[in-house]
This record gives sequence, C-alpha cells and structure tokens, in this order.
Amino acid sequence: MISPVKVWRHQKEIASYFGKEGKIISWTLIRVPPEGFINEAPYPIVLVKLSDKRRIIAQLIDWQKENLRIGQKVKAVYRRTRQPDSEGVIPYGIKFTPL
Amino acid sequence: MKIAVLGASTTKFGELWDQSPRVLAKKAVFEAISKSGLGTRDIEAIFVGNMLSGILGGQENLGPLFADELGIFCPAFKIEGACASGGLAAHNAINSILGGQYKTVAVLGIEKMTDHKPEEVASGLMAAGADEEREAGATFVSLYALMARAHMEAYGTTEREMAAVSVKNHFHASLNERAQFNKLVSLEQVLSSPKIADPLKLMDCSPVSDGASAIVISHDRFTGKVIDPVWIVASSVATDTLALSQREDLTSLRAVRLAAENAYKAAGVSPSDVDVAEVHDCFSIAEIIACEDLGFFGRGKAAREIANGKTKLGKGRPVINPSGGLKACGHPVGATGVKQIVEIATQLRGEADERQVKKAKIGLTHNVGGSGAIAVIHILRS
Repeated sequence: MISPVKVWRHQKEIASYFGKEGKIISWTLIRVPPEGFINEAPYPIVLVKLSDKRRIIAQLIDWQKENLRIGQKVKAVYRRTRQPDSEGVIPYGIKFTPL
Repeated sequence: MKIAVLGASTTKFGELWDQSPRVLAKKAVFEAISKSGLGTRDIEAIFVGNMLSGILGGQENLGPLFADELGIFCPAFKIEGACASGGLAAHNAINSILGGQYKTVAVLGIEKMTDHKPEEVASGLMAAGADEEREAGATFVSLYALMARAHMEAYGTTEREMAAVSVKNHFHASLNERAQFNKLVSLEQVLSSPKIADPLKLMDCSPVSDGASAIVISHDRFTGKVIDPVWIVASSVATDTLALSQREDLTSLRAVRLAAENAYKAAGVSPSDVDVAEVHDCFSIAEIIACEDLGFFGRGKAAREIANGKTKLGKGRPVINPSGGLKACGHPVGATGVKQIVEIATQLRGEADERQVKKAKIGLTHNVGGSGAIAVIHILRS
C-alpha cells in the first residue's frame, strides 16, 4: 500500500507543476506495464523540459500518434496516476497533454 | 592496488525453478573455493550482492542466511546497489582487504527472479528508480528507451544497429554452456520481436533470470596454493542523479565516465589496452552507450562499430561480452556484477575454451545500477 501520508506530502510538491508548459525531450510507448498500470497499457511516457527549465518524466494523455515526437509542446495537468489498492487513497499526480 | 582472484565460479543462469537461492549459493561459492585451492576455514568474510530478496522473496538478513547455508560462520553482509549490487559487493570486499580487516574473503552475487510474475519483477526493479518514474508507470526498459530515442536523434543510431548487439551477444552465449540462451538469433528475429517500450523490443532486453556467481579474493601478499592468480588492479564506483530526468545528457552515463576515468588511472591503462570487457547490456542501447563511455569508441560511433563486428569474438578488439552479456548469458541482477568478474578472470586465465579471447591480458567489467545512478568498474590483469 502507498502510505496516505506519503501521498499527502507529495501533493504539496506537485502543485508547483500545475499548468506549466514545456517540450518533449524524449518519449517511449510502454506496452508491458508494471503493477498498478496494467489496465492503461499501451501508454506513452515523456521526458519534458518545462519553460522554467525543470525536467520531469510523466505520462502523456489525450495523445495522437503525431504527438509522439521530440519537440512536441505539452502542458502539465493533474490526474489520477495509478490504480489504488483496496485500502489506499487514490494517488493523483502530474501528466502531460499535447498543446 | 593488487587483489588476487584465487577462485571464480558461476552457476548456469536461467529459469531455475527446481533450485532455491540456498542451492545456487552453495554451488557457486563451493566451486569458487575449490578452484582457489583453499578451504572454507580460510574464508574470513562473505559479501553478498543482491537486490530483490526483500521485495520479491520477503527475505532479508542475507549475510547470516548464506553464512549458515555455507557453514562458514564469519562476518557476512548484504550489499545492495540495484543491478550493480554484485559489482558493489566486490568493491566493498576489496576495500575490506585493502583496509587490513581481512586477508581472504568470498563475494557472492545472487538473485532469484523467475518465481515471480513479470509485473511484480518489473515493479520490484523500479525500486531502483525515482518517485516520479514510479508515479509515471515507467519501467526500466522504458527509461532506457528514452535514452535510445535521444541517442537515435543525436547520432542517427538505428534500430538495426541496436539489434546487432543482441545478435552478437547470442553468438557469444552459444559458446557458453552456463548461459541462459545458447541459440543464435538473426537481425530479423530481433527486429520483428514484440515491442516492449518503443523503440526497444523484446530481444533488445536482457531476460529475467535466476543464478549465482562467486569469487574468492585475497591480499596480494597472500601465499596460498595458487601459483597463477588473476589480479584486480582497479575497483571504482561513482554515482549520479537517481532520476533520469535530472541528467543533462541522455546519451551518456556520467557515473560510468567518472568511475572509468578513476579506474583507468588507478590501473595505469588506457581504453585501447583493454582486450576483453564484460559490459552491462541490460538493453542493447546500454552496450552502445557503455562502449562510448568507456572510451572504446568515440561518442556516437559505437553502434556502427559493433554492427560491423568490431567487438565480436575472433573479429575485433576489445571483445565485448564474451559470456553472452546480460542479454544472452542472463541477468540475475545481484549476480551479474560478480559474473562479469568471473568471466574476465576465466578469460585472463585462458580457461574460456571455445569463447577464449586470444592473448587476453587486460580485462574490464562495467556494472550499472538504476538508469545509470551508480556504476562500478573493475580492471583485471593476468
């Protein structure tokens, strides 16, 4: 189980990413997922450099094939990240959507 | 520094469902001790390299577990550094001898992975990654896929060139009876294998494996029964950011460059002196990047050289991954770093039979943990 306390701590950090824009530096399409992401595959993950120079890896959502390219502009949004287990809180985090 | 490798052994790697970690450890360590000409009473400490025993098997406290199983009740430690756990255990064992604490010690690298479901193993391995990577649903193959994409963009590296790494390593493994895969594969087979994380396919990836490897090492002044040991002349570790996203350059691993620079300096050798190397080809792109970071080829040049056979047994120098590498010999993560030293010691002793690199005098091992957060380099001489 992901500790609810850890989720709570994490929320304070990720708020600073909301709405931030950036560009894809590299991408991949995951076909064989880890636990907690079984129902979502295939899904792309992207390494993004934000306009404020920070870099982060997250999933790309609402994507079309032509969005999977280096240089694609994206925006950070707040979404549920993984399937919670039966007693855990629902974890939310950053994902990117194409611009 | 000079540390003598007196005995070296590895079990067969593979899906060893009928063998427990205890059985594997015994096989590897007792064979290494037997080759050293010493007895169990000469072993003063045991360093165990392992990553996943707690996460997958629910078993920690591996020091006493294996001391008990081996019947050698000496100081014993588990050393963890993700997929570099084996190399890191060797590094710590070497330091314990250099520090004067012990004269002769055993290093055991071991992992039991195939008892568990693939998604459990994938999640367990991600314990070596960063929070943001787990949150994104990343796997290790996807992190290396991000590096592969960047390498393709920067240097024009192709999927075909990456596939050539797997073809070569399967050829080498076909000459190694202890390798997980003994079959040759073609470029087309690799290229048409299912995609795991684009652009990496199943046959760009090292397998999930069980196995154990062990070495018995001693101070250079030790005068045992062994007449002709192989010497470890450099052991170097470096670290980098845990998260891949925080690296300025995705096409090279800084921890490897740093550790290699220190190791070459300590050994007084240059990359062109290396006859044979075991590198950490967890994915095909990783071997390409390794060959560049270790200075065997210039930046952006290794993919073509490997595809042209420059690192293949009997064709070029340095020969890379004569054991078959992680791709084809197998990758029980905690065992790998020790297996690499076993293979190089075997090569430098001239005991590698069909896969012997002719006149091999200087060898190198390159063991990487995480997506490059930790690297361990050893240089050996005959």
